Amino acid sequence: MTTRRKTAKKTKAAKKTTKKATKKSTKKSTKSTKKAAKSRPSARRSPRAALAVATSSKESSPRRIAALQEVPLAVCENDENLNSLLNILRDRNEPIKVRLAALQSIQAASFSVIAFESCRPDYLAALREVVDDPDPELRQRVLGILARENDSYVQQRLLDGLQNPAKALVPPEKALQLLSYDVHAESYSVARDIVDNPPNPDAKREALRILAADPNSAPVFEKLLTDKDESREVRQISAAALQATKPRRFQERARQMLLDKDEYDDIQATALTALTQFGDKEVGQDQELMKQVDKLGKGKSAKVKKTARRFLMRYKA
Amino acid sequence: MSINPGRSEDEFRSLVESLIDDPNQNAGLIKLLGEDHAIYDQRGTATVNRMRGWILVAFARKQLPEAALPFVLEELDTGVDAYVVAAAASALRTYPERNPAFAPFVVRAISNIRYRDENVSLHAYGGFAIGVAGTSPVRELLETLVWLGPSARAVVADLTTLRDGPTALGKKYQTHLTQALEAIGVVASIEDDCCQLPESVRGIFSSLRENRTSTKQLDSTLFEDQDGTSLTFEEFFHGRPSIVAFFYTRCDNPLKCSLTITKLARIQELLRTEGIADQINTAGITYDPGFDLPERIQNYGRHRGVKFAPQHRLLRAPEGVDSLRKHFKLGVNFIESLVNRHRIEVYLLDREGQVAASFERIQWNESDVVGRARELLTEYENRNASGVTRSSIASPVLGSTVALALALFPKCPLCWAAYMSFFGIAGLGSVPYSPWLQPILAILLLVNLASIWFRARSTGRMTPFYLASVGAVALIASKVFAGLDPIGTAGVICTLAGSIWSAIAATNRRQLARQ
Repeated sequence: MTTRRKTAKKTKAAKKTTKKATKKSTKKSTKSTKKAAKSRPSARRSPRAALAVATSSKESSPRRIAALQEVPLAVCENDENLNSLLNILRDRNEPIKVRLAALQSIQAASFSVIAFESCRPDYLAALREVVDDPDPELRQRVLGILARENDSYVQQRLLDGLQNPAKALVPPEKALQLLSYDVHAESYSVARDIVDNPPNPDAKREALRILAADPNSAPVFEKLLTDKDESREVRQISAAALQATKPRRFQERARQMLLDKDEYDDIQATALTALTQFGDKEVGQDQELMKQVDKLGKGKSAKVKKTARRFLMRYKA
Repeated sequence: MSINPGRSEDEFRSLVESLIDDPNQNAGLIKLLGEDHAIYDQRGTATVNRMRGWILVAFARKQLPEAALPFVLEELDTGVDAYVVAAAASALRTYPERNPAFAPFVVRAISNIRYRDENVSLHAYGGFAIGVAGTSPVRELLETLVWLGPSARAVVADLTTLRDGPTALGKKYQTHLTQALEAIGVVASIEDDCCQLPESVRGIFSSLRENRTSTKQLDSTLFEDQDGTSLTFEEFFHGRPSIVAFFYTRCDNPLKCSLTITKLARIQELLRTEGIADQINTAGITYDPGFDLPERIQNYGRHRGVKFAPQHRLLRAPEGVDSLRKHFKLGVNFIESLVNRHRIEVYLLDREGQVAASFERIQWNESDVVGRARELLTEYENRNASGVTRSSIASPVLGSTVALALALFPKCPLCWAAYMSFFGIAGLGSVPYSPWLQPILAILLLVNLASIWFRARSTGRMTPFYLASVGAVALIASKVFAGLDPIGTAGVICTLAGSIWSAIAATNRRQLARQ
């Protein structure tokens, strides 16, 4: 078995575990939230009292989760409050549901950018500590928060994981999705490697989405777009990418696809939509194309008929 | 010292450490701060930030030399990376002099970075703080204000707002703020010259170019504007002074490209207000022509208030990025086609498209740029004032003399005989027959026509040129075909009228520009 296959197998297994864990954890979270709602006292307590319950290891998890839902406004009142929540988040001995609730609470507090200003540095530094946590859901959520901050530490860790699957923190498709938040994340060359040698179809799709903003990758997209053996999804991503980076080339290819009688309906529908939205005046002067679209408008596929009508409305008007 | 651009980050870290330990190698270290240095080629933005931050950390350990000061101030002015800004703040404290001009930069940096504040470690390469240890850019900046002490008196009001105002800094930093205000002490009156940067540093941020480089290599470079119209560098940039700013739409630093294009729009507004919008071009050129297609730059400009016109465009040079980098010595580097780091850069070009002045690195003032452009407009007028006056007189004289000479020039030896007999009566001896004189006069007529065309192009009034052209055609026709002498006379009048009209139009335009 080649290393690549082994890696793909490993990744698949990791992905399965993550999915299972996430499902389980979400189920558990929902259950515990319901329980927490039940255990919520009828009279609203002060944030200080709620924080005391949330940080007490003697309290039950549902009560602590319920208390954590009440504290966001108090998180950044002083260093002590923030640190007590960050300690819960970091402590691997704490129940995972409570840690996730603590993360949710701090995240809610962070939405108030001005109030959270002075807490932000410690919060981000604590999140970096948790990216290696054994719990996949917590890990993935923390990676998501840091990736949206364009955190270069996390970007580096994700890139390392893509280059060396043994170091992967999340499945490759997730890593690519997180890297795509920042166009400057040095992910083009890794994404290109994955397109050439994908560990799974989802990773290939995400890698293509990253490359969609790279003008140098236009030839790759042109090839994929015209390859009828490729999946429809890949061809549709390629169409969007080529339109975004080389609109003229896309227009030529779209024309060819529409004139091709053996082309798939949904690909023709994509080409028609793109030409309707972005095509230039020359499209309407192309008699051969107009005739063909007329024919497509009378065809069997409802999707193609609809898009052909829109196309003709624009160019015949 | 040549530095291998392909070094790993580990090797780079060691290199910086060895350079900082050797005082003779400081220049080498400063060179590494140039955005266009080959060492940053094909590296990602995060890597470039780690590398540049590490150089500043190295200066923070020893002493910040004056030549590195512009890079530190630039980072404070426009930097948004926590590690690099913290390193810059820390490095500034090792500068030998506490200059009052630093204080506004430090306060601006606090405003820029406060909502991006995070823990960093200046003891490690890359400086990621994991856990709650380390420092932060805001903390470093406040410490720099403490270091400045009384030299930061110009920013007392800003600091008081940061302590007590509605957008005060978080509680965590209140102690540092109080310390800074205490260090500044009681504010006495602030002298007018409180905030002057060292002359050498000012010269880097804004400079005049005495030796202007020819644009020959660039003249044929093809551009495409926001509407997809193609034109060469020569077509757009020759004939009028231009204000050129560089940008790219994927820039994620709001203090750089986005602000630059917004300010370019304000410049257009100022030019319109001053009534010189049709005499000065404005252009924004993208660093990223592969991605920045016409539609993209058009939207980018429009959303930032740019008003497009034939003299005001956003441009992309699909095949000319390298020539532009070379000609303008652009402070930019790339990973594949994507910019990984760039400085702010605005250039003023003269009528030949040559760089006459530049505003680099830190935020520039729109009025300063317009003022400099106006100077450029009048500089040209003044420089050529005497020459132009002479030519404005010489042109109609040349035009009419040549026209008259050509009109009166005899067609054949027989005509010459008649002329000779006439001049004989008038008491003249003999006039030699010179058939070669006729083509020379015709050439001179064309030269006159060309000079009128150039003047017409610069004034935007083509009628004098058309009039002189009709006159020239009539004159030549009268010489080629027999019996068209009255047409020749009309030709002389048209040429004369066209030449005088052209000279008057040019004089009026100069007076308008002076006003």
